[in-house]
Amino acid sequence: MDVDMDVPMHDAVSEQLTPTITEDVDASGDDYQDIDFKPGSSGIADHKASKPLELTGENINQLDKWIEKLGKCEILSEDDVARLCKMAIDVVQFEENVKPISVPVTICGDVHGQYHDLMELFKIGGPCPDTNYLFMGDYVDRGYYSVETVSYLVAMKIRYPRRITILRGNHESRQITQVYGFYDECLRKYGSANVWKMFTDLFDYFPITALVENKIFCLHGGLSPMIETIDQVRELNRVQEVPHEGPMCDLLWSDPDDRGGWGISPRGAGFTFGQDISEQFNHTNNLTFVARAHQLVMEGYAWSHQQNVVTIFSAPNYCYRCGNQAAIMEVDENNNRQFLQYDPSVRPGEPTVTRKTPDYFL
Amino acid sequence: MSTATEPANGAAAGAAGASTAPGTAPGEDVYPLALLMDELKHDDIANRVEAMKKLDTIAIAMGPERTRDELVPFLTEVAQDDEDEVFAVLADELGEFVPYVGGPQHATILLPALEILASTEETLVRDKAVAALNSIACELSEEQILSDFIPLIEHLAVADWFSSKVSACGLFKSVIVRLKDDTLRKNLLALYLQLVQDDTPMVKRAAAKNLPTLIDLLRQNPDLSNDVDWDFISNMFQKIINDSQDSVKFLAVDCLIAILRFFNTKHVDQHFRDLLSSAVKLSTDDAWRVRYMAADKFETLASQFAGHDDYLTELLPPFLALCEDNESDVRKAIANEIPGFAKLFKGTQQSAVILTKVLPAVQNLSMDENEAVRAALALKVTNLVELMSKDEAIENLLPILLNMLKDEFPDVRLNIIANLKVVNDVIGIDLLSDSLLPAITELANDINWRVRLAIIEYIPILAEHLGVDFFNQQLSDLCLSWLWDTVFSIREAAVNNLKKLTEIFGPEWCRNEIVSRLLKSDSQLLENFIYRFTLLSALTALIPVVSADTVTEQILPFVKHLADDAVANIRFNVAKSYAVVVEVLAPHRDQYADVINGTILPSLNALCQDQDVDVQYFSKQSLARCNELLA
Repeated sequence: MDVDMDVPMHDAVSEQLTPTITEDVDASGDDYQDIDFKPGSSGIADHKASKPLELTGENINQLDKWIEKLGKCEILSEDDVARLCKMAIDVVQFEENVKPISVPVTICGDVHGQYHDLMELFKIGGPCPDTNYLFMGDYVDRGYYSVETVSYLVAMKIRYPRRITILRGNHESRQITQVYGFYDECLRKYGSANVWKMFTDLFDYFPITALVENKIFCLHGGLSPMIETIDQVRELNRVQEVPHEGPMCDLLWSDPDDRGGWGISPRGAGFTFGQDISEQFNHTNNLTFVARAHQLVMEGYAWSHQQNVVTIFSAPNYCYRCGNQAAIMEVDENNNRQFLQYDPSVRPGEPTVTRKTPDYFL
Repeated sequence: MSTATEPANGAAAGAAGASTAPGTAPGEDVYPLALLMDELKHDDIANRVEAMKKLDTIAIAMGPERTRDELVPFLTEVAQDDEDEVFAVLADELGEFVPYVGGPQHATILLPALEILASTEETLVRDKAVAALNSIACELSEEQILSDFIPLIEHLAVADWFSSKVSACGLFKSVIVRLKDDTLRKNLLALYLQLVQDDTPMVKRAAAKNLPTLIDLLRQNPDLSNDVDWDFISNMFQKIINDSQDSVKFLAVDCLIAILRFFNTKHVDQHFRDLLSSAVKLSTDDAWRVRYMAADKFETLASQFAGHDDYLTELLPPFLALCEDNESDVRKAIANEIPGFAKLFKGTQQSAVILTKVLPAVQNLSMDENEAVRAALALKVTNLVELMSKDEAIENLLPILLNMLKDEFPDVRLNIIANLKVVNDVIGIDLLSDSLLPAITELANDINWRVRLAIIEYIPILAEHLGVDFFNQQLSDLCLSWLWDTVFSIREAAVNNLKKLTEIFGPEWCRNEIVSRLLKSDSQLLENFIYRFTLLSALTALIPVVSADTVTEQILPFVKHLADDAVANIRFNVAKSYAVVVEVLAPHRDQYADVINGTILPSLNALCQDQDVDVQYFSKQSLARCNELLA
C-alpha cells in the first residue's frame, strides 16, 4: 500500500468564520443584532426531559409518517418541526460529548443540504436502519434543501437512536447559517425564522465527537492545541452556540496541514495541525486514526498525515459545481474498512455540470 | 386576510342554492355577481385568479338568463382590463360556459370576450382562448358559424397585430369542413393563404403548423374538396416550402406528409412525381433544421410512397445523404428510421437495397464519432434482421451487432442487448453468445453502478429468450456475483433478479441452482455483516416463490442460525424474515406445526427479549404478524 501518498486537499469553496463579503456580520461579540436570535429563543428546550425519550407506539407512528413525508423531499409543517425538535433534544442531550459507537458503522462527511445526494448515499450504503450510520456534521447551508436534509436526519435519529448518530459541524451554528443559506431557506420555505431558531437551538445539543470501538476518533473539523486526551473532550460543556475560539471551536473548525506543528487557520477559526500533532494524539489516545470531514476532497475521501487522518466528504458535485466525487467509509464488524465513492444523483431539472471543472473555479 | 375566505363561502353558498332549486332563477339577489366583482377588484392577483376559477359556480347560482344579461357582459369588460394569469383562467372557464348561458343557441354571446382574449400578446392566454373558441364552435349551428364565428375569424385574420392573426390560424379547423358551400370554403382558404404569406414569421409558422390538420380534415371528408381547394393548398405548400425562414420551412415536412396521405386516400397519383421532388428537396435542404425534420419523419414520409418502387429508389440517395449528414442530430434522427425505411422495399429489391445501400450506411453509423448517434442506432437496428435471410443476417448484420456490443459507450451495448429478441428469433443465440457474454460481463463490471443496474434489469428478459440451459451455463454465476457488489442498490437489484428468475424457471430450478449454491457461499465473505445481510435478504425474497419444503429444509435453518448474530441489524432482519416464512407456512399450519411452534416462535420470542431496542421492536412487530397469520 502506498501509505505515503497524501492527497492534497482543496479548500475549494473556502469558507471562513467571517467572510469578507459580509463583514458586517459581527465576528467578535456574543451580542446578536436581533434579540430574537438569542440561543433558546425558540422555546424548544424549555421543557427538557430528565431521561432519554422512550419511543411509544404513537411516537413511532408519528415519526414513520414524518420520515415517509421527508423521504419524498416534502417539508414538515412548522408545528411538526417544533415537535420534532423537542423530541430530538430529549434524545441528543443525553448523548456524551464523545459518543461511543460500535461496529459495523458507515461514516459520512458533509452533506450540505444536497438532499437528493443524501438519498443517493443511502442507495450506495443501504437504507437506515439496516445499515448503521455516523454523520460528521454540516447538514445545512450551500445546497437548496437544507430544511429537508436536516429534518430527515433528525427524524431518523429520533426513530432509530441506536442506528444513526449525527454530530455537530461548524455549519450547525446560528452565525454561519445566517451567511451560508440555511437561514434564508427557512425564511423562504416557512415565511419566518421560527424553524431556523428551533433547529439552531437543537444544534446546541448535538454531540461533537464520536469514538468508534475506541479506535477511530470522529469529529467534524480537527484537533485542538487545548485537547491532548479524549477525556478532555468529555469534560467540555458543549451545549452552547459554537464559540469563536477555544477547544470546542477547534474541534469543529481545524484542518490538517502539510506543515508540522500548529498553524493559524486561514478560516479565521480553529487551527491547522501537522502530522506530528496527529501522530502524538493518536498515540496518546491509542487510536488507529482520526476521521473528519469539513474539507472538499475531489475523490470524496483523502488520507493525510500518513494514514493518521482521513477526510471524508459526502456532498458530490459540491455546491452543484465543484465536480467532486463523494464518499462514505464502511467499517465492518471486524474493523475492516472500505470506501465507497459516488457521483451526484440523477436530478431532472437541476443544472448539470460536467465532471471536470475548470481550475479557475476552484 | 379575512377576505380570502369569503369567496369560498360565497361560492359554496351559491352552489348550494343552485342545487336546491335547479333550473329556477334564484330570485333577485345580486349577491354572487357583486361578490365576484369585489373579488376581481382585489389587489392581490392570487385572489383574482381564485375568484375566476369559481366562475362556473357563480354562473350556476345566477341562472342562464342573468348569466347572459349580466355576467357575460361583465366578463367581456374584465377581459380587457386585468393580468394574464386572470385571463388564462377566464379563457378556460369560458370554454366550458355553453351550458351556463342556456345552451348552444345562446353560445355566440361568449365570442366577444374570447375574441379579445385571442388577441392578447401572451401566448398562453391566446392558446387557451383558441381552445375555448374551438370547443364552443363544435356546439354552434351552421347558421351561427356563418353569422358569428366566421366573421370572428375574419376580424382576427386581418387585424394589424400578429397575435390576432396567429390565433386566427388555429380556428379554421373548426369551420373548414362545416361549410358545404364551395364558394364560402374557397373564401376561407383564400384568407388562409393570406396568412401563409404574412409578413411576420410568427403568423407564417402558425399557419404552416395548422395546415396539416386542415388537410387531414379534408381527407376525412373527401366529398367536400374540389380542385379549386387543391390549387389553394398546393399554393400554400409552395409558399411554405420556399420560405426564407428555416423555422417556417421545416414545417413543410408535416404538410407534405398530410398532402401525400390525402392523395393516397383518394388514390390519385398524378402529383406524386412533384411531391417526391419536394420530399427530396426537404431532405437535402441547406438548413440543418429542415433536414432534421425530414430525417425525424423519414419513415412516415417514405411510407406514403410505398408501392411505387421507383419513387422509393429515388429516396435512397437523400436517405443515404442524411445518414452521412454533418450534423449529429440529423444522423441521430435518421438512425432511428433505418429499419422502417428498409421495410418499405419489397421482394428481391428489398434484400438488394439492404445489402448494397442500407448496411454500408449502418456500418458507418455504428462507428459514428457521436455516442448519441450510435445509441440511437442501437435502439432499432436489430429490427433489420427480420428483413434478411438467416445467412444474410449472419454474414452481414451480425458483425455490426457484435461490434456494437463492444462499444465503449454503455448505452449502445445496453440498447442492443435490450432488443436482442428479434435477433434471437432469426439467427439463434449461439452465434451471438460469444460476443454477448463478454458484453454482459463488461457491463456487469462497469464502474458506473447505474450501468450495472441497467444490465441486471435486462437479465430476466434475456433469460426468457435464452432458455434455462444457456442461462445455467453462462449467466447464473454472474447473477450470483452481483449479490456481493459494493453498492447496496446493486445487491438489492441482484436479490430481486433472483426472485424474477425463479418466477421464470420455477421453484425446482431455484432450489438446485440458487438456494443450494447460496447456502454454500464463501464463509470468508460472510465475515462481513453486509454479505450476511444480503444473503439473508436473498433467501427471504425467495421464500414466497420456492416450495414450502425448500423453505423449511434449506432456508429456515440458515435464518435461524443468524438469530444469534453478533450484529443487531442482522437479528432484526431475521425477525422480519420469520414473518415471511410463517406467511408461506400458515396455510399448511398443521403440516408444519413442529417447525412453527418448535423453531420459529421460540426463536422469535427470544428475539423479543433482545438487548437491542430495534431488535425488540421488529421482533414484536413480526410476532404480532405471525399470531395474526396463525389465528
